[in-house]
Amino acid sequence: MSPPVFRKIFIANRGEIACRAVRPCRELGIRSVVGYSDCDELSLHVKLADEAVRLGPSPASMSYLDIDAVLRAARDSGCDAVFPGYGFLAENPDFAEAVEREGMVFIGPPARVMRILGDKIAARRALSASGVPVTPGLEDVENAEQIVAFGKRVGWPLIIKATAGGGGKGMRKVSSPHEVEEGLQAARSVAEKAFGKASVYVEKFIEGARHIEFQFLADRHGNVIHLGERECSIQRQHQKLVEEAPSSLLTPEVRKRMGAVVVRAMKEVGYETAGTLEFLVDRKGKFFALEVNTRIQVEHTVTEMISGFDIIRKMFKIAGGERLSLTQGDVLLRGHAIQCRINAEDPKHGFAPSFGRITFLRQISGPFVRTESGIYQGWQVPPYYDSLLSKICAVGKDRDTAIERMRRALREFEIWGVKTTVRLLKEILSHPDFVSGDIHTGFIEENIAHLTEYEDLEEEIFKVAKFVAEVSALGGNVHGA
Amino acid sequence: MRGGLRGKSAKRIVKAIRDSGEIWLTNTGPRDTSQSDYKNRFTLHDMSRLIPVYNESGYFSVEVHGGARLHQNMLNNKIDPFREVQLWASGSSRVLIQTLIRATNVWGYRMYPRNVVKLAVRSFLETVDVWRCFDFLNYVPNMAPVAEEVLKGGRIFQPAISFNESPDCSDAYFLRVVKEIVALCGGTDGIILCVKDMAGLGSPDRIRRLIDAILQKHPDLLILYHRHATDGLVIPAMAAAAQAGARLFDVTDDAFSRFYGHPPVRPLVRYLRELGFSVRLDMEKAGEATDIIRGFIRGYEMYESPYKGFSHDVVTHRMPGGAFPSSFEQAEKGGFLDLMPDILKGMAYGNRIIKYFDVTPGSQITWTTWAGIVQRVQKEGGESGVRKLFQALEKYFQAGERMEALSPAEESILLGLYARATDDLKNLLLGKLGPLPFGWPKDWVYRSAFGEEWRERVAADRLESSPLSHLPEEDLGRARETMEAELGRPPTDEEFVLYLMHPKAATDFLKFRQMYGDTTVLPTAVWFYGLKSPGDSVLVTLSGKPHVISLVSIGEGVGGIKQVVLSVDNIMHVFPVELPGAAHARKTVRKANPAVKGEVGSSMRGTVWRIGTKDRVLKEGDRLRKGEEIMNIEVMKTENAVKSPVEGVIRELCVAVNETVEVGQLLAVIGPEPDLQ
Repeated sequence: MSPPVFRKIFIANRGEIACRAVRPCRELGIRSVVGYSDCDELSLHVKLADEAVRLGPSPASMSYLDIDAVLRAARDSGCDAVFPGYGFLAENPDFAEAVEREGMVFIGPPARVMRILGDKIAARRALSASGVPVTPGLEDVENAEQIVAFGKRVGWPLIIKATAGGGGKGMRKVSSPHEVEEGLQAARSVAEKAFGKASVYVEKFIEGARHIEFQFLADRHGNVIHLGERECSIQRQHQKLVEEAPSSLLTPEVRKRMGAVVVRAMKEVGYETAGTLEFLVDRKGKFFALEVNTRIQVEHTVTEMISGFDIIRKMFKIAGGERLSLTQGDVLLRGHAIQCRINAEDPKHGFAPSFGRITFLRQISGPFVRTESGIYQGWQVPPYYDSLLSKICAVGKDRDTAIERMRRALREFEIWGVKTTVRLLKEILSHPDFVSGDIHTGFIEENIAHLTEYEDLEEEIFKVAKFVAEVSALGGNVHGA
Repeated sequence: MRGGLRGKSAKRIVKAIRDSGEIWLTNTGPRDTSQSDYKNRFTLHDMSRLIPVYNESGYFSVEVHGGARLHQNMLNNKIDPFREVQLWASGSSRVLIQTLIRATNVWGYRMYPRNVVKLAVRSFLETVDVWRCFDFLNYVPNMAPVAEEVLKGGRIFQPAISFNESPDCSDAYFLRVVKEIVALCGGTDGIILCVKDMAGLGSPDRIRRLIDAILQKHPDLLILYHRHATDGLVIPAMAAAAQAGARLFDVTDDAFSRFYGHPPVRPLVRYLRELGFSVRLDMEKAGEATDIIRGFIRGYEMYESPYKGFSHDVVTHRMPGGAFPSSFEQAEKGGFLDLMPDILKGMAYGNRIIKYFDVTPGSQITWTTWAGIVQRVQKEGGESGVRKLFQALEKYFQAGERMEALSPAEESILLGLYARATDDLKNLLLGKLGPLPFGWPKDWVYRSAFGEEWRERVAADRLESSPLSHLPEEDLGRARETMEAELGRPPTDEEFVLYLMHPKAATDFLKFRQMYGDTTVLPTAVWFYGLKSPGDSVLVTLSGKPHVISLVSIGEGVGGIKQVVLSVDNIMHVFPVELPGAAHARKTVRKANPAVKGEVGSSMRGTVWRIGTKDRVLKEGDRLRKGEEIMNIEVMKTENAVKSPVEGVIRELCVAVNETVEVGQLLAVIGPEPDLQ
């Protein structure tokens, strides 16, 4: 047995992805260290990792986003590599550089590549140069008039995006010239708040589009392969909710052709480790590159389920300098996988975040399902971070089978104490358009009224118990009095 | 004949009883007795133990539904009235399920339009076999919508004549009412006539003569005698009724019997048998029921009236059933218990001035009117004032109800009598509930109630025909929309019927259910008092699956909150319970009413960081387009625009910048633009 690629990896994240990353560490004989903020001291990633280091107070800016604190924690705990996960510092080239400066390995692409691909405008240019189609765009936005003129040229609607954005934040769709002013203000304001940088750019908005992305792996030796695509059209305000692989839209020929485009572009840009190239596909089947995500993605699980590869484990090995042992011909995708995101949000009330104690939790198990989760019963969902609690994944020989298994899994998933997207997901998985594969990025918005018609059912026994608690505390029934 | 009556047609059932030659009994324990002596608090948990026993006892029917129970079930018992009657029906293969319906008042306290009456009846036709229907004015047209639906539905219609002992209530009068009833029902084949002695005031001889008179005229008519025990003469009165030919009687279980409800079943049966009647009842089963009841009846002690004992003076004040003891409780609470003898005396006079039958809603009108009059007179004129009032009344009646016989002072006392008449009394005087059975009261009553313009009022407003035909039909579509807005979801058909009867009680009940689920699964003691000591537990069965809730601890009340730890199916849960009073101390947050379009509520918990937009700071009075952003709420670094649902003017801004808001909190009120004049 060869020695482990690293001795000790610092996982600079929290929640389900930090827990997920601990697992290949353990498989490979690497010790894992996580950082935590004050409100996370009892969180699951702290319990699962081999070691844990306090980063700082609860707000992310003072803990998970505090580069100095993270570096100190990684260095002081004797780590030789840092895995950033997604969100937080994952796409921050300054952080990647700082990690390398400290003599540790950053498990992700080189800062130079991140800089190009992380700046959406530079990325558009780079992709375009290597032959990847991009949407018509307006790259230097100074004022609303420019946007109006651009809209007149390419047609409405448009979408205003933060150049430093991610996760759908700071995006605003504008459908007519008189919405431009307000949309621009809002996008800039959010961009400033979320990313510390108010600059935005504009693209033509592709209506009725599907969101399809290609997962690829690249090593330090110039080898790039792709692991096929994922369909992520079920999203709300650019936050994905249901993802699947493969997409029912792609024929093997198209997959092959697009895969080749992706591989070529990533070779040209000198990419390294795992990444994703996102596309919008319009109603005529035309592809437009959206952006490159230079990190592991939330929905990587569905690719793993049909390819049989552990992407994070591969990332560790690539970062350790190993050569990709695979060629494109070794990638055989089998069956169909679906992932659902269980977020602590209340879809019935505009997806308002819901936090509090998880008073009861029954996660799923059974054949052909998988859970990636950062929660446990009794844990308090903190109000400071992303609302993703848990991801569940189901796989089957075809899409229908995967849907049936996912429905079964959602039925078994039970969580009390916080409002979640579980009921909404059940509705989506039963919606005739979803079942027939007739989906697009506006699916949730278009069907939101119907999808949220469900009643919020608390378990009957819990309701009755609430009553018993009340009568017991008051020594008498105030309702029946 | 042991077979079940259920499932047979009304006519076959009526014939079977007629041919049996036996006396049949209706057990009123779960409804009327419960209402008269236990404030309608019986729980389903206890009642469900009686269902199989009643089913084997040989009763004609069990009255489980109607009267005030539907309202009480929603208000206090948190029992779904539909589920309750379904539970009874599903376990009663041999005994019929009965309701009591207040004609146009159905199961409420006001007159409902025809379409509401019919909808309400239809919604319970599936489960309720016997429909006893009375009108407090004995005004038969008021029963018509109920009769039509019940007869059409093939159920047993049991029209009641409200009974009273007074010179007006002659045999001839009752025969006229019975004749109308028989005409309404198309004969006597499919009905049972109920003689409703709701206060318990018929002397045995009077009852014998009345039933005899009815049977002379309608020999085939099946008659049931319903009688409360208040005056103490219930068993002899029933025996007299039996001797005159009444074939059905209302009874209660021995262990349920008190003073204001119904006669205990076994003593009555024994006596009737001794008199030579054949009575259908399995005495052993009746004993079994009583044993079960003794096991739980103490749980309702706090709902029994502390004013116990028969009241023979019921023959003058005529307060029906439980209304009598509860009037004492109300007087005690209101601090006028010492006035009760005078109030009862006043009611006796009142019954002779404005004549109707003392049962809902009339009994409530008499009580409120006289409790008010006596308190007012006592306050204004002291004991001598009250004495003068009664002297004037006595003189008035002595003089053959002639005002002229009174001194001006006495006349002014009488003219002041109804000066503070309630709307209910005024409506009664204006015929809005139906024509009075013995004619309108004298003119001075109208002058007293309506003042100097009484003539105009009477000429313009008094109905001389059926009030139902003047009552516009309810706009059911709109009512349903209103309910949906109040409830926050579309109601089911059953829920809508409950809402039409009692809008507030129904929405409160449904909200309670949303919050606490179906609490009828709880044993009575837990329902009333909860779990007392750590380690106490309760087994609850939901959808056939057992669950165990046990008490781990109850914390000290800190900051108005007690933390209760329960183990629910082996998992510990902490339930913070707010102590009474703490809710007021807490900052009260105004909630937006979803039914009001201009009230803008927050859909999330977050911080208001801006009011208006970057370019337009908004203040009260500013105009808004529909869809224009009013304010923006930040939640976990996302911005959420709150937009105006309507076009209009900001009437009120209810929050300030940097304020943290809760879900549902009222943010702003947008109103229509004021007229620019």
